[in-house]
Amino acid sequence: QVSVINTVDTSHEDMIHDAQMDYYGTRLATCSSDRSVKIFDVRNGGQILIADLRGHEGPVWQVAWAHPMYGNILASCSYDRKVIIWKEDNGTWEKTYEYTGHDSSVNSVCWAPHDYGLLLACGSSDGAISLLSYTGDGQWEVKKISNAHTIGCNAVSWAPAVVPGSLIEQPSGQKPNYVKRFASGGCDNLVKIWKEEDSQWKEEQKLEAHSDWVRDVAWAPSIGLPTSTIASCSQDGRVFIWTCDDASGNSWSPKLLHKFNDVVWHVSWSITANILAVSGGDNKVTLWKESVDGLWACISDVNKGQGGVSAAPEGQQNEQ
Amino acid sequence: PPQVVPGADPAARQLCFAWGPAEGLVCETRFGRAGGSRSRPSPVPSRRDPSVDADTAGGAPGSSRVFVVRRDQDIYIQTLRKLFNESHGIFMGLQRSEDELAGKSRKAQLVQVSKNYRSVIRACMEDMHQAAVSARDPALQGQYSTQVSILSAMELIWNLCEILFVEAAAAGPLLLRLLDWVRLHVCDVDSMVREVLSSENPSKHELFWNVVDVFVLQGRMDEARHLLSKEATANPTSMNMYKILDDLMKKMPMPSLGNTQTLTELELKWQHWHEECQRFLQDGTFASNPHMESICKILLGDEDAILEKKELMTTWYHFLVTRLLYSHPTVRPMELRFYAQSSMDLFLGGESSPEPLDMILMAAFEFEMHQVIKECSIVLSNWWFVAHLTDLLDHCKLLQSHNLYFGSNMREFLLLEYASGLFSHHSLWQLGVDYFDHCPEFGRVYLELHMERVPLSTEQKALKVLRICEQRQMHEQVRSVCKIMAMKALRNNRLGSALSWSIRAKDAAFATLISDRFLKDYCERGCFSDLDLIDNLGPSMLLSDRLTFLGKYREFHRLYGEKRFAEAARLLLTLMTAHIAPCSFWMTLLTDALPLLEQKEIIFSAEQTYELMRCLEDLTAGNTDKQKFQEDDVETTKVEMLRLALARNLARVIVKEGTVEGS
Repeated sequence: QVSVINTVDTSHEDMIHDAQMDYYGTRLATCSSDRSVKIFDVRNGGQILIADLRGHEGPVWQVAWAHPMYGNILASCSYDRKVIIWKEDNGTWEKTYEYTGHDSSVNSVCWAPHDYGLLLACGSSDGAISLLSYTGDGQWEVKKISNAHTIGCNAVSWAPAVVPGSLIEQPSGQKPNYVKRFASGGCDNLVKIWKEEDSQWKEEQKLEAHSDWVRDVAWAPSIGLPTSTIASCSQDGRVFIWTCDDASGNSWSPKLLHKFNDVVWHVSWSITANILAVSGGDNKVTLWKESVDGLWACISDVNKGQGGVSAAPEGQQNEQ
Repeated sequence: PPQVVPGADPAARQLCFAWGPAEGLVCETRFGRAGGSRSRPSPVPSRRDPSVDADTAGGAPGSSRVFVVRRDQDIYIQTLRKLFNESHGIFMGLQRSEDELAGKSRKAQLVQVSKNYRSVIRACMEDMHQAAVSARDPALQGQYSTQVSILSAMELIWNLCEILFVEAAAAGPLLLRLLDWVRLHVCDVDSMVREVLSSENPSKHELFWNVVDVFVLQGRMDEARHLLSKEATANPTSMNMYKILDDLMKKMPMPSLGNTQTLTELELKWQHWHEECQRFLQDGTFASNPHMESICKILLGDEDAILEKKELMTTWYHFLVTRLLYSHPTVRPMELRFYAQSSMDLFLGGESSPEPLDMILMAAFEFEMHQVIKECSIVLSNWWFVAHLTDLLDHCKLLQSHNLYFGSNMREFLLLEYASGLFSHHSLWQLGVDYFDHCPEFGRVYLELHMERVPLSTEQKALKVLRICEQRQMHEQVRSVCKIMAMKALRNNRLGSALSWSIRAKDAAFATLISDRFLKDYCERGCFSDLDLIDNLGPSMLLSDRLTFLGKYREFHRLYGEKRFAEAARLLLTLMTAHIAPCSFWMTLLTDALPLLEQKEIIFSAEQTYELMRCLEDLTAGNTDKQKFQEDDVETTKVEMLRLALARNLARVIVKEGTVEGS
């Protein structure tokens, strides 16, 4: 059973495109076509506006919170081709970095696992993916993957940090050799997996299954199993769950979660990766869970009434 | 059925969902909105909104709201707090209990655990009931009342599971337990019973016979006989009938808990008694008193006679137990299923269909444990019940260890769900830690993922989280917490706190950063903050070069303060020559050397003076390339002063060292 415990009136003057809780669920960031990014304190059912950030010149598509060990940092991306990184200092939020290296709308931003430092991936309609990495003293280094997806890249999502070999505690100061990977989805109907090798980003895998633009990808958090899981959703109404059983990341197999009647725009994993939330154009959000026999089931079916959140008025037929 | 988000307007908005650590976010949006290449018209326009075409710039603003939603509300119900806390204690006791006890004593132990859980449920029910009674707001009252029924149902189910699974009552005692169960839980008739018993003349009460019937149906023979005796005294004409009936009721063979008779003996006795009842009935002994006749029929297990008293039994499972009592008191556990199914069918009689609770009880009677758990998971709104019950059944070694798809098993699956739910609560999360500890497959990783999300709102809470992580060697999480706290302290300008957190995190980079801040502060203000901390760094000083310098520099100041000038001088020099000090600080250090150079007593030796001069020249040589024009007078004056002081010292020291000291 899902209950609404707080309704935050953001007072955005135009459509909201993204809303994200910070790491602890104490703050909420929203971004909108009104070009602003707003931050609210939502502790104890409250809603206090902490910041109204202006800086973008077009609709802002996504926001992403960095790990709290780096302070209070938020990234936003917009139709104005810019990626802005905002930081809280002494109680005030300010722009700390602006990246303008894309030729078109930047559609998605995603912070890498904190183990890699402050590293942000950005996907753009110019087909490129840029990786912004904080090197210290207010400086950011940029690496760009041009032509990552023809026509445009719509989503980026990082793989959880896993150290190859045994996870022994490293002596202080020494950085373990992480293999950095992330997934991207694009207008070429593909999901791609990128891997960093010798400080260069290379395309490691091309996952084909969708027949239309891939709108979102989400790499599931790791619960210690050797399998990796990615969810992807598309204009074609399908949501696929991709799994790879071996650590080398070579064989990915898709499983169709469901074919919806409308575009599916957004997929997101719970923090222990056991529930996938799917937001679609059919005015519904559905929650899915892997059942005991390995099949994915919609919770609102199995658990009568639990989980299906819909904007439809109560009399309306459930299309499932 | 889909759940409606209040106020959301389907015509203008779609819903987008994002996960928070505990709660989720639902925001009203329109996907594929105007804005250019990010959007694209949906190939299948929605019937509901003809204007879904993407390029409509500036749509209706309306209120832009974000809903914070939560999946498990029960965690937040104050009156259930006791349930979670106390059951945690019972759970932990069970995990730690000795598995060495075998056979009967182990079983007795497990039954006690089960009873403990049930008494916690009942205590909670009582609290909830009180809350319902004293609530003023009818909506709240309704909520509490609902909770009471839910808890009552949980206790009902648990009790049955205890009888059938945990205690695994055998034929004989099984019936007695079931009778107790019915008597405890079918309470609808209690007020009627009280009313009749407390009236002046019970036998004249219009509900008198109902109450007698209730007693008979529940096998409460003594109480039934007692009431009947009142009727007999009031109605001497039926004395004969009464005596016979009373005798029959007295003689009815019942299973016993001890080993006083075998089942065969019981069955034999019961057969005789049954035949005797039959004879009296057929002789027409009770013909003139329909009430007594009906009782006799009931004693004979006549289904129709029993069913006539439907309203007094209120549930099919009461009917089941009554039937068993009067037709098959030596019923074996495995035979229950047949009687259960037919009882339900007869009782409901096609008028109503079974409810979820009925299906759960039926599954229990059929000994389908997994079915019971599954049905309960579906019907109940949180995982508390199924998690604890399943854990208990697992300890009874009753659950087949068929592994679930992702490697864990049913017990662990449910415990993980339950504990995860606890983590969304600001204080109950601590209970969750223990539950994860007892999930061998995924408990640790789930704990890691959840611990990372516990808000470190106070230093106290951070220390609590740290202790839990340290106890379990969760090094990554320890480091992470320390780094977060260090960053927080730094943002609030609490340098000392930031430094100690970064040392604890073994974060060299951060320690360097903070040391720089300390040094910067020193340069600006001329004194150190947090001296205690810096003075007592000990070996952690070695974490970063800058930190080492900070520690040593402070030591220099201390030595100077203690007038141990020679040592201070040596240290000062080492800081530069061993490159412990960053170049940016050399000027400060050299300036610190000035008072030492100007002392009446000679402190620096010739060699040391040469070293200092070399350092100064290295420093100024480096500077000539940069910002020569911006070098302010203060700097040049300083350099001049230093050169002068060094030269003077050199002169003095040469003379001193050249002079042969008198003895």
